[in-house]
Amino acid sequence: MIPAALVAELAGICGREGVIAERDRLLAYESDGLTAYRHRPGAVVLPRTTDELRAAVRRLSARGLAIVPRGAGTGLSGGAVALGGAVVIGTARMNRILHMDPENRRVRLQPGVINAELSVAAAPHGLHYAPDPSSQSACTVGGNVAENSGGPHCLKHGVTSRYVTGLSVVLADGSLVEFGGLGKEAGGYDLAGLFVGSEGCFGIAAEIEVGLVPLPEGVRTLLAVFDRLEDAGRAVSEIVRCGLLPAAMEIIDGATIRAIENSVFAAGYPTDAEAALVVEFDGVEAGLDAETARARKCCEEAGAREVEQARTEAGRAALWRGRKKAFGAMGRIAPDLLVQDATVPRSVLPEVLRRISAVAEQYKLIVANVFHAGDGNLHPNILFDRSDAEELARVEEASAEIMRLCVAEGGTITGEHGVGLDKKAYMPLVYGPEEIRLMWGLRRVFDPGGILNPGKVLPDGTEPVEDFPCGESSVQERPEAERGDGKRAPERAGLRLAAGLERAGLAAETLRLAGVAAESRMLGWGDGAAPSWPPGVEAEAVVFPRSVEEVQAVMESANQTGAAVLPAGGGTWLAPGSRAGRVDIVLSTARMNQVERYEPADLTITVAAGRAMQRGFPGLGGVSGSAKENLNADLAAHGQWLPLDSPGACAGTIGALVATGTPGPLRNRYGGVRDAVLGLEMVTGDGRRIKFGGRVVKNVAGYDLVRLLTGSRGSLAVITSVSVRVFPRPEADVTLIQELPADEVAERARALANSPLPVAALEIGPSSGRSDRFPLKARFVGSEAEVEDVVERALPFLGGAPPPERLEGARSRSDHGDLEEWEADARLVVRLAARPSLLEGTLRTARALAVELGGQLVVDALQGTARVKVGSPAGDPLAPVGGVPEDGWVERLAEARSAVEETGGSLAVSQAPLELGESIRWTSESRGQALLSNRLEALFDPRGVLAAKRA
Amino acid sequence: MNVPARARMRRPSGPGGSLRAAAPPAATVAVPAAASAADTLALALADQQEGLLNCVHCGFCLPACPTYRRLGDEADSPRGRLYLMQAVVEGRLDAASAAFQEHIGRCLGCRACEPACPSGVEYGRLLELARHVGGEARRPGLATRLLLRVVGTRWLARPAMAAARLLRATGAPALVASAKFVPGRRGRLAAAMLASSARGRLPVGETAAAEATTGPRVRPAAAGSAVGAGLRADRPSSDRPPTAPSGRPPTVAVLDGCVQAGLFARVNKATVRVLETNGYRVAPAPGQGCCGALHAHAGDLRAARALARRNVEAFRKAGTDYVAMNASGCGAAMASYGELLARDPELAGPAAEVAAKVRDVSQLTAERGPVAGAPVAAKVACDEPCHLLHAQGLPRSAERILRAVPDLDVVPLANAAECCGGAGIYGLAQPELGGRIGGDKVDAVLESGAQALATGNPGCMMQIGAELRLRGCRLPVLHPVEILDESYRRAGMYKHVRPEPVNAAGAKA
Repeated sequence: MIPAALVAELAGICGREGVIAERDRLLAYESDGLTAYRHRPGAVVLPRTTDELRAAVRRLSARGLAIVPRGAGTGLSGGAVALGGAVVIGTARMNRILHMDPENRRVRLQPGVINAELSVAAAPHGLHYAPDPSSQSACTVGGNVAENSGGPHCLKHGVTSRYVTGLSVVLADGSLVEFGGLGKEAGGYDLAGLFVGSEGCFGIAAEIEVGLVPLPEGVRTLLAVFDRLEDAGRAVSEIVRCGLLPAAMEIIDGATIRAIENSVFAAGYPTDAEAALVVEFDGVEAGLDAETARARKCCEEAGAREVEQARTEAGRAALWRGRKKAFGAMGRIAPDLLVQDATVPRSVLPEVLRRISAVAEQYKLIVANVFHAGDGNLHPNILFDRSDAEELARVEEASAEIMRLCVAEGGTITGEHGVGLDKKAYMPLVYGPEEIRLMWGLRRVFDPGGILNPGKVLPDGTEPVEDFPCGESSVQERPEAERGDGKRAPERAGLRLAAGLERAGLAAETLRLAGVAAESRMLGWGDGAAPSWPPGVEAEAVVFPRSVEEVQAVMESANQTGAAVLPAGGGTWLAPGSRAGRVDIVLSTARMNQVERYEPADLTITVAAGRAMQRGFPGLGGVSGSAKENLNADLAAHGQWLPLDSPGACAGTIGALVATGTPGPLRNRYGGVRDAVLGLEMVTGDGRRIKFGGRVVKNVAGYDLVRLLTGSRGSLAVITSVSVRVFPRPEADVTLIQELPADEVAERARALANSPLPVAALEIGPSSGRSDRFPLKARFVGSEAEVEDVVERALPFLGGAPPPERLEGARSRSDHGDLEEWEADARLVVRLAARPSLLEGTLRTARALAVELGGQLVVDALQGTARVKVGSPAGDPLAPVGGVPEDGWVERLAEARSAVEETGGSLAVSQAPLELGESIRWTSESRGQALLSNRLEALFDPRGVLAAKRA
Repeated sequence: MNVPARARMRRPSGPGGSLRAAAPPAATVAVPAAASAADTLALALADQQEGLLNCVHCGFCLPACPTYRRLGDEADSPRGRLYLMQAVVEGRLDAASAAFQEHIGRCLGCRACEPACPSGVEYGRLLELARHVGGEARRPGLATRLLLRVVGTRWLARPAMAAARLLRATGAPALVASAKFVPGRRGRLAAAMLASSARGRLPVGETAAAEATTGPRVRPAAAGSAVGAGLRADRPSSDRPPTAPSGRPPTVAVLDGCVQAGLFARVNKATVRVLETNGYRVAPAPGQGCCGALHAHAGDLRAARALARRNVEAFRKAGTDYVAMNASGCGAAMASYGELLARDPELAGPAAEVAAKVRDVSQLTAERGPVAGAPVAAKVACDEPCHLLHAQGLPRSAERILRAVPDLDVVPLANAAECCGGAGIYGLAQPELGGRIGGDKVDAVLESGAQALATGNPGCMMQIGAELRLRGCRLPVLHPVEILDESYRRAGMYKHVRPEPVNAAGAKA
């Protein structure tokens, strides 16, 4: 119970109806979707607006009361339950769609909007919201954000975090911070990505901006029936091996089928089967029948008894209704049921299913499986009778054993339900003490007082007693000035480091330290001279560790000696304009380039961070092997690829790609770097070795550090190993190029972008700012039939005379490959972002800037972003002479920034000459963001050892 | 994906968690009255194990609930109310407590939560039990008791209804409803309801008349109703076709009802004419009376059973093939007489038989086509009575009737599947919330651009009509049978019977 005076204060904020404080009336808030946990809150507050929410949070936090955010209370991990009389802040009355923006395919809404109703509201515009948890008819988008919800169709379309593009978050002290947002794509940590899935521990989202996608033109649904569950599992792998990417693949086992068919949701699943596999394809009509036929063949080869296609929308709806209501249906036949949620790599599905049934047998229990097979996301349901105490004990043991075996097979403890209260005790199965300690630190970054959703996610008794180095005071104590002054430390820090490493038991020779001849010679450096590698960076030493342990040793030693370390890969990113201040040691991961694990059927690959993307670095740091050893070659051998075409992607290492995190033009089709990275291993600034995420495509165990690190530019940790999601290489790849007048190109690009056609990438340029005609390049990937059809339909958008140039296959790929290297020779690169609907204005601004600075530009018409590059004066024939001299750039950039910001956009400088480095304002970061970012840096790198700065 | 499962069964599964740790806190000591009330509910719950105790706390019902949508308080959601009921059963909550009384009292009983429930909880029946328990623990207000007593007692109902008609004829209620100076929403609403029970005038819209259509344009099914249709197929009074023994026209007795007989006699008469036109032989059922739905909804199960017994006797004697309904609440109530009287030693069997014969007039007419009438060119919006849509699984009931009326333009009505806030005596018991819900319905009606609203339940007719009047709008609210009746009259099908007074604005205005 909370004091009456506070009740009155809260009622003054939210109205009488907005505060529930009477004991009896709080009963309904004891549980969420998991009634195993019952805790009555001290009060419930139901604000209607952001202002009410902020005021209520401020009032509660001033009194030190704990706060539990709650949406519709449909969660299945006890996350929305208030422990110890905490106050629930419910979002039920914050249920307005604030701004539907079909032109930009975005919508801004309050957190209490119901998932399914968002899609209903978007439908008149031909759009929908893709993540579709089974509870979508009731759960709120705010809850989805907190849990990073998935759903059957996330196999192709991705989970919630892919769609959340902006957030207004109320922090524990009532302050409001903006993360991301339409047109604000440049710079800073991916705080929106970190916030998604934080289970109410970091703040309360007051406004959410999500992306919408066009409703699919066509849908095909197959039902394959199997006599053996394992055969269904094999069919799933077979379909993936064929290079198909269905929208959804769901397996329903025999026990579940019989439960569904005994309920009112009977959908016509054959009751004598041991497994049913539902495979759904969606997209452009033209390609669907061919894909469906191939999937049918895969099922038949895997031993399907029969394969049927849903002929009507009603038939399809019945199949899905049966699937989505399966749990309720099972509830009707079993006295008690325990639903589990775990993810394993897809390729081990048959093995895991076999072991689960062995566990069931061992404990004499019935286990029914119904799950997202495409994602490897299992939901084993243990059926039992609670009144039998002995059976109950067996259920507990069996459940824990299933968790352990899933983790042992490379899986994780929760794929979509979250940790909450229910799974926090399992967290040590997937995280070590260092990771758990770091997650406690993350909570303190956002919520120094520890009042948000206490007692959730992290195991009891693991909270460190010491203070975290992330309070504001400690931020100020960081040796910022020392880092930023560009001056060298008086002593030779590199040599001190060498001494430190020797103390740590590592021979300097092993690490090729400063002044060590071998490396220097290989790179053409003179003996004993300070190496100037990567070009433009003057460090005392370059180290090329071979293992994580060696990276750790370097970092530990640097922490002792105060040396500034700059993480690097192949050195391609640190060319002119490195944003580092003083650098004592460059730490390159180029020698850590092994493929650690690649299972093509899982569509995932784990490689050491130094693995080259497309070209090796033979010779660099004594790297063995040839240029052919690279990630693209690894994947191509299995007909797969990593569709990340970020600027510079092909020249560098995978670690560098993740560290920079810049999205490429293919993001619209495949997602950006942030969506591809599944797991990271890293060494933090203070030398701790930590690992987050894993090899599974759905994983909501713990906070999303993977997204935080993606794009962190080496300012938080040295990435040592990366797991990424890969895709089947598309059958067809076509680029259409049309030269268009400057005043027409944006309009045509927008028209094509606004059409429901699946354009993989759409770019204007690259061109000189002075040119009056721009090439518009539209790229289409997919099956032969799909691409043929889409190209045909896209032609009218590009204008007829003369017909557009058409590049196919390798030529289409290499044209884009060239673009990836566009920035390689740049002295200055500026990124402008604005709402896609303002493309014309963005193009105009970018063009003006390019003309002024004497540079070139390229525009991503789908994202509405533009890049302006000024090349090195020497060696760039394209670079026109006569632009503003370099000392005038700062002023010009400031002007351009204010022009872009006026329309709600942003401008970030991603490369600039070293001399200008200190005077350029690199990003548009708000005060709130900066504060959180500084705290994050203090948490990961308390002594400020890492010389890199966040973008 | 978040999935519902039997939450009461899902236990903490962590290595540190224990399945047994989940027991609720020790029961609080309940006062004797509440204890016995709890026993009643517990007994009733235990009795209904199959259907009633299936709530898994998944929350799918929350967005379906009109009160939760407006208040945002989970205690005002179906799941929350079920939780309170369980708390009473467990002895953790006093049935006489303000929390229980208010949250259970605030439920509309629209049963929109039932089609949303994957576990098949029969919420409507649970609610009646809860209201019963609540009523035992704390007597309902005098006005409520009086109202129920009057409608349920023939010798009281007749003069009361006559007086109401007389009052209605004076025009005073209409005046009060539109008067700004009359304080208190309750009084104005009551007056407006009475005023709106008068015959509505079907306009002849020029727009509609100008459009040369040969039949009504029926809007596509609303998502909600389609779901309802799919999931309720197993309901006792589902849309099974009337099967007449061969050789003779099927016979049917019409429930006159209490309020219908008193204030909507014209609808009853139209029902009889329309059924006869569609080939039914209408037989009388003397001795019938109020169906008891209002009593059951208010938790007075004793009175409801007494009234049900009377009706079972009457309709059993009538011996018709069907029992026709033109009020959705009554239809839903009579269709569940079997369950209501399941423990009655004598009438359990007959009650189930009568219940099985219950059909809404829309079902009976639809089975016969319905026979087409003359054109009525008007724009009509159709609202879905909850007790047809959710309780009886009959979506688009009005359209089923109106498709027989050429030239009628059925315009879409936003949120037609949501309760109008009428819900028996809800508007009078919960004037503020009922007004909010009714106000939203009025907004939708006015936005639809319709010239009239059709809805197959007198309660809804009065509620929506009253809310319209309180807004100063005289848009007519009609029973769909009235419109079909008018269509038949225009077609000259009633030459052999004395026609009712002309039911069109065109003739009078």
